[in-house]
Amino acid sequence: MSGPTPAADAMASPEPPGPVSLRVANGPLAAPVLARVVSMILARAACPLDRLDDALILCDAISAYAPSHSRDAHLSFMLATDARAIELRVGELRDGGASALIEDALLPEIGNVIERFSDSRRIEPARDGGGEELVLTFGFGR
Amino acid sequence: MTPDMELSLPARAENIALVRHAFGALGETLAIDEQLLFDLRLAITEACANVVVHAYADQPPGRLDVLATLLDDELTVVVRDEGSGIGPHPDSPGLGLGLPLIASLAESVQLGRDEQERTEVRMTFSLSDASDHHGGQDDGNLAHAGSSVDERQTDPTMPT
Repeated sequence: MSGPTPAADAMASPEPPGPVSLRVANGPLAAPVLARVVSMILARAACPLDRLDDALILCDAISAYAPSHSRDAHLSFMLATDARAIELRVGELRDGGASALIEDALLPEIGNVIERFSDSRRIEPARDGGGEELVLTFGFGR
Repeated sequence: MTPDMELSLPARAENIALVRHAFGALGETLAIDEQLLFDLRLAITEACANVVVHAYADQPPGRLDVLATLLDDELTVVVRDEGSGIGPHPDSPGLGLGLPLIASLAESVQLGRDEQERTEVRMTFSLSDASDHHGGQDDGNLAHAGSSVDERQTDPTMPT
């Protein structure tokens, strides 16, 4: 076979993984799976360790509070990254669920985890029908 | 049935590691036996590698979907693509062991297409009898037990 193998390509040109879609059932799977996937994406993007920690705190907050505001028994996440930031789109939230999720993330003496650790937040109607999506951006560029 | 976990990402080699990590988290959460989790991740890796190498060989990488459903101590994993389908690849860079390896590691394997004509490899793993899993624990031989491949539309000279 001629030419580089796919593995060799991967080693030679680390790139963002492209848009990653994750959908998990509400329950114990959501937090660890989301954290692993986000960690992997950010590690590949050479995210500094301190910001990686911040991202995981953000993910934990979302995993902890989003199930209460999902429109059914699942949560979906769409992750897109470039060299300086990641966009995390939390989907399958009920109407009003996105703002309620943000409000829930208020911790005593710490403040609102979602507001503190994300760089921007917006709420959009769900692209797949009912409910809404919370779109967060998280920057890590040096 | 709705999967408990669905992951969809570009079918690129480096993304296989991301799938493995996701299943690592799933395995830890479900307290899956360590050896079974090793086998499960190996089988999934092989199936994903098939997609990366063969499914979009003559076109830009498309999507790689991995779905996991847990029901009654049985974990079903589907690796799916929208590529050219499963068929002989005489120019494959692999050793031709991918599908036999998957078959040896999983309780059952089905190859075919879903209702949207997407190619899928469907693997099941029993979580309840992990100690008996593939019978290869004692002698370290992965290949002597496990399932056979249910070829719904396949060729014996399938890619790895």
